[in-house]
Amino acid sequence: MCGTVAGCEGCPIAGDFYLPATLASLGAGERATVRRLAAPKGSDLRKLLALGLLPGVELEVERRWPAMVVRMGFATVALDAGLAEGVVVSRQP
Amino acid sequence: MSQPIGLLPDETAAVLPDAAARRWLLVGAPNVGKSALFGRLTGVYTTVSNYPGTSVEVTLGVHDLGEGTVGVVDTPGMYGLLAVSEEERVARRAILEGSGQALIQVADASHLDRALPLTLQLLALGRPLVLACNLMDEARRRGVAPDLALLSERLGVPVVGTVATTGEGVADLAAAAERGAVPVDGWALPQPFADVVALLAEGHGGVRLLDAELALCGDPEMEPAHAAAAPRLWMAASSMRDARWGVADGFAVALATARRRMALALLDGVVPPAPPERRRRRAALDRALLSPWTGIPLVLAVLYVGFYRFVGTFGAGTLVGWVERVVFDRWLTPPVTAVARAVMPWAPLRDLLVGPYGLFTLGVRYAVAIVLPIVGTFFLVFALLEDCGYLPRLALLLDRGLKRMGLSGRAVIPLVLGFGCNTMATLVTRTLETRRERVIVTLLLALAIPCSAQLGVVLGILSVYPAAVAVWVCVLLAVFVAVGALAASLLPGDPPSFYLELPPLRMPGLRNVLLKTGTRVRWYFAEILPLFLLASVILWAGELTGALRAATHAIVPAVRLIGLPDAAAPAFLYGFFRRDFGAAGLYEMARRGVLGPAALTTAAVTITLFVPCIAQFLVMRRERGTAMAVTVLVVATGVAFATGGLVGWLLRAVGGWA
Repeated sequence: MCGTVAGCEGCPIAGDFYLPATLASLGAGERATVRRLAAPKGSDLRKLLALGLLPGVELEVERRWPAMVVRMGFATVALDAGLAEGVVVSRQP
Repeated sequence: MSQPIGLLPDETAAVLPDAAARRWLLVGAPNVGKSALFGRLTGVYTTVSNYPGTSVEVTLGVHDLGEGTVGVVDTPGMYGLLAVSEEERVARRAILEGSGQALIQVADASHLDRALPLTLQLLALGRPLVLACNLMDEARRRGVAPDLALLSERLGVPVVGTVATTGEGVADLAAAAERGAVPVDGWALPQPFADVVALLAEGHGGVRLLDAELALCGDPEMEPAHAAAAPRLWMAASSMRDARWGVADGFAVALATARRRMALALLDGVVPPAPPERRRRRAALDRALLSPWTGIPLVLAVLYVGFYRFVGTFGAGTLVGWVERVVFDRWLTPPVTAVARAVMPWAPLRDLLVGPYGLFTLGVRYAVAIVLPIVGTFFLVFALLEDCGYLPRLALLLDRGLKRMGLSGRAVIPLVLGFGCNTMATLVTRTLETRRERVIVTLLLALAIPCSAQLGVVLGILSVYPAAVAVWVCVLLAVFVAVGALAASLLPGDPPSFYLELPPLRMPGLRNVLLKTGTRVRWYFAEILPLFLLASVILWAGELTGALRAATHAIVPAVRLIGLPDAAAPAFLYGFFRRDFGAAGLYEMARRGVLGPAALTTAAVTITLFVPCIAQFLVMRRERGTAMAVTVLVVATGVAFATGGLVGWLLRAVGGWA
């Protein structure tokens, strides 16, 4: 997956390998898994925690404008692009 | 226990005879039907007392147990104990300080995975706990209804399924809370977090442990408190934390992630895997509400139908007219006047009751006939919008626009509520995160947002001239935007960020809507009637002593400055007592034909922008401090007369207006 000739078989980082993207960079309809929170400010981080955006959570972007609308299970949350920059995700096919 | 909850005022004891005895504390996230469940538990006939005045919005009610009663406290919604807004801090304080009280956590049955991390924290407190899985009907419809018995077995506390809108399971919930099962030990933090937190908590459990955990997570309230109280201990614990997790943020995320994993493990087998959701009609409506292309026209439609037609035309027109002309002029005033004439021989005393500024003819009549129908219809529409989940969507839609004024979409809620009652809305600014946002919204409320009573009367006066309404709306909008943008650029601080949960669109529950409307109307009435009566007495005394004439003379130059006849001066004087009081004064003049369209428009603009009413001023002073309240007062007066003067001059210059 990462392009080495040996392939994924036996590779130590296989399965944990992902191309990091921020939630803000996802388009409408894209699915992703939250990997890590990288909000520089503590206050922003607490907001992300309040919304339930935690590592391991799977989400789908419903719309990007006028603010990001993200669905996680049966819960839907809205956040602005600034906050979404602080969520590192890996895209799901 | 001298006072059960530090947040509740002394009157609590009067409401609850055995206030110190027992309490149930309702806690949980917003939008899970906590208030509706509270209404079910306390019933309609109990003393539902809202205390937005003295404490923050901690609502208190009484549940009838058959033999004796128990107090039920409804706390503001919160997503977790790591609080973001002032309101969440209030809810947290209620939990941390309410030792000995039973906790009822209300959760949305469809996403227990979001609620269970809080449950785990509450379990560790070692206090009686019941988990209410509300909105069970929605969960069943979605095919994700949890196995309550299994979850209860795993948690060791009662888990009850409820549907607050129909009352299903409420009796079971009350019975479970009455039994008050205390969770067994063993809900301590997982390692490696436990060591660090226990170090700071010095081995204590319960609240101390939770407190230490929040401090280590970097809570802006708890962290400095710990650092100041026990500096050495704090140094030791925080360095231990930093050595492993880098900083407080890393610790907070790691702990939240670990708790989430524990929650998912507990829910394994409790919640069936979610079946693929069918696309529903509501999803299409939701998209239409959120997209600016369709959303903005829909906002305007809601404003027009809900507020202009229902509150304006029906409330301020039909209802006011009926109460004033039939209830007062025909039924109440003649007998009261006759009795006063017969009983009170001394004219000034008689005037105090039924004179032009009489307690009955002015105080009671204005409050009941003019203000009550308008405010009542407004709160009804507001509760409907609140209950169906429209307000968060409005917040999302307007977020970008509000960012230009230093606010986030969240400010929509106090701003919209301000159209009902600015005083209440000023209190609700506590839901905003930063002081900067709270100050900007307070200023905008005081200045450019007319309250419903004022709105009703002003629209009533201007409705004869549609063009005047248009001018009035445009001027207010311009002032709103200009003052907001100016305040945002002048006040220091970071731009706010927007985050909000969007609850699903739901059919509003009639019972809940009526309960909310009733509570607000009661709060409003209890707050304004004394002020109306006070205003009547002051005006009566002023008339009697000649002080009123002197005060009127004093503001005549200002009134002339904006091009109004001297007769309009008293209306501005009344405005000090209630904003709508002043507007009602103008209404009288418009009816008598003293003011033409240009003068009327000018007067309406000025009085709308003019100083806030006494109640709002008092609340501003308490919430934002005397200096801020006085500044707002001075700014509002300046802007009001400057804008009024400009509008009056422009209208006369353009001509064509009588």
